Amino acid sequence: MKNLNLILAGVFFTLAASFGGLLLSGQVQLGQLNRAPAEEGGPLFPAKEPGLAIQGRQVYISLGCVACHTQQVRPAGQGNDIARGWAARPSVARDYILQSQVLIGSHRLGPDLVNYGARVKSDDELHTYLRTSVAGSVMPAYGFLYTQSKDGSFRPTEDAVALVAYLKSLKIDYSSPEAKLKQ
Amino acid sequence: MSQEHSSSRSSVSRIDASVSLPVRLFIISSILWLLVASVLSLIVALKLQVPSFLSDCAWFTYGRLEVLQRNAFIYGWASNALFALNLWIMSSLARFELKSSWLPVLGGLVWNLTLTYGLIQVLLGQLNGFALLEMPKEVAPAMVVAFLFAALWPAVAFARRPTGNVFVSQWYIIGATFVFPVITVVAQLMLLWCPTLGVMQALVHSWFYQNLILLWLGGSALSAIYYFIAKESGRTISAYYLATVGFWTYFLFASWTGPATLLGAPIPVWLQSVGVVAALMMLVPIVITAVNFFGTLAPRSGIAQSWNNTTLRFVLVGTVSFIVSALLSVVFSTRSLNALVRFTEFTQAQEHLAVYSFVSMVIFGAAYYILPRLTGSFWPSAKLVHLHFWASTLGSLLFVVAGLNHGWAAHGRTDFAVSALPGLVAAALLFVGHFAFALNAFGMLTAEEAPSSRRSY
Ligand code: HEC
Repeated sequence: MKNLNLILAGVFFTLAASFGGLLLSGQVQLGQLNRAPAEEGGPLFPAKEPGLAIQGRQVYISLGCVACHTQQVRPAGQGNDIARGWAARPSVARDYILQSQVLIGSHRLGPDLVNYGARVKSDDELHTYLRTSVAGSVMPAYGFLYTQSKDGSFRPTEDAVALVAYLKSLKIDYSSPEAKLKQ
Repeated sequence: MSQEHSSSRSSVSRIDASVSLPVRLFIISSILWLLVASVLSLIVALKLQVPSFLSDCAWFTYGRLEVLQRNAFIYGWASNALFALNLWIMSSLARFELKSSWLPVLGGLVWNLTLTYGLIQVLLGQLNGFALLEMPKEVAPAMVVAFLFAALWPAVAFARRPTGNVFVSQWYIIGATFVFPVITVVAQLMLLWCPTLGVMQALVHSWFYQNLILLWLGGSALSAIYYFIAKESGRTISAYYLATVGFWTYFLFASWTGPATLLGAPIPVWLQSVGVVAALMMLVPIVITAVNFFGTLAPRSGIAQSWNNTTLRFVLVGTVSFIVSALLSVVFSTRSLNALVRFTEFTQAQEHLAVYSFVSMVIFGAAYYILPRLTGSFWPSAKLVHLHFWASTLGSLLFVVAGLNHGWAAHGRTDFAVSALPGLVAAALLFVGHFAFALNAFGMLTAEEAPSSRRSY
């Protein structure tokens, strides 16, 4: 322990070990995932994201929505995510393979959004929600994403349109080889 | 509060003088960042109470300000301050006179300028979604190079030390300093430059994050705890032979704990289990450090004596917080308990306990020791020191207890009520404390320049 090189070598070893044990072996297992059908010959999931949704993800990232919203549903028995109706099945690694930046999040001040696209009713409703939020909620209103025209109606900016397309694209309403929808 | 001044030297020692310039630069920058981060915490806490506050413009959205706060706190405050601590502690242990102090000064300047640039970019909307890697990717290379210039010197001091003696603090400094650039480069490459596929990103991020918090911040702070407990109590560390084991097990297990922060996430279950095992193994270094610290202080009413010493009082709060936070992580990485508190304010409170109540309190304690020795003058106001101590201690206690309590209660509920008020009061208390600290520190650093100042040797 008197030698600088010895300490450095030791610490290097500890980091290298966890790097190899966690990240390299994780990469071996996760790095090869492809889109897959739930059943032989069926359509491939996850579906390709619409271009507008890809733009919308940038808006989501740039406004820091991940501070309050997660995008992951834990298996039943590990938390009550499914019981809360956030999705019918747990999220699996394959769901994320097409996403350029994975935003699973670590803090929930608001509901999980991984399957939000399956429960949103209409674009208009979502636009109104983002513009005004709801009274008494911690969710901030994003009024600056909208411009008001002369007749008093609100028009979404390009960012708002993209964001809504993104939120609507968030869906795990399909079965994957790892997790089937029950019904 | 303290008798420390009676022992203060009549002049600045040669070793202290040689590192004075960089250490001052780091401390001044760290305090400025601390103030920035404290104001941001206040705003963020206020936004949870009044969501419409400052919400008319993309720049000041909750999401961006929260990112700014976290980065200003970790990279601006804690990292700058640890540059100072590591350099000072290592030089004094290794009797090292720094010849080329302009190199760390340069490193410090680049570090702070890049950080400022990165945070402005974040404010303007150029950010990523990975905590503590939010700044645009071009920032990281500059920060890693700046880090090497700023933080390399303890290793040089260690290599050139005249005696063969080694003290446990030195290992922690070397280890912590080595970790930061390595994990940053790896995480930047695997997340931003050539992103890995899907949830691999979450795994890489958890590895980076745990190593950053536990090893760079935690390792450096542990070094300071060992140093100041031995130095200020004048005792030898009890069960010192265990400290080596403590050091190696801490570094070995901490760097595997990443997946334990991802329980239930869509990553392979065996990886989660490995993380949990590593988290449980952390009990070994926790027990060893606890035996070292409390075994040293507890006999012969050492705790009571420490309470009367400014530095040790802060360090003591930091040490207790370290143990509590580490034990909480052990207990709450068991799957069933983790499932209840994951994603809630419970985890935020745990994190606050680690980066504030542990790391920052230790830094404060160290600053109260180091600055008088650098400047050769006294802390201008003992009242402000008291105010700082109590505001910081009570503020973080309030934050942690309210967060743990609310997070624990949250698993039974389905609404999204937040306990915003305790957080706001806590942020206000911390702000008061930090302001008092800054006033005192800047009072001291500027008074010294004026020849007619109150130097009473
Ligand atoms: C300060 C935390 C916070 C931030 C930041 C935030 N949200 Fe929310 N969000 C909430 C809360 C809390 C709710 C639940 C509202 C309620 O019913 O009280 C919510 C609800 C929602 C919902 C409705 C979910 C549902 O299941 O009905 C959507 C959609 C949403 N947020 C999208 C966003 C987007 C997009 C952003 C970023 C532009 C964002 N949120 C930023 C806290 C936040």
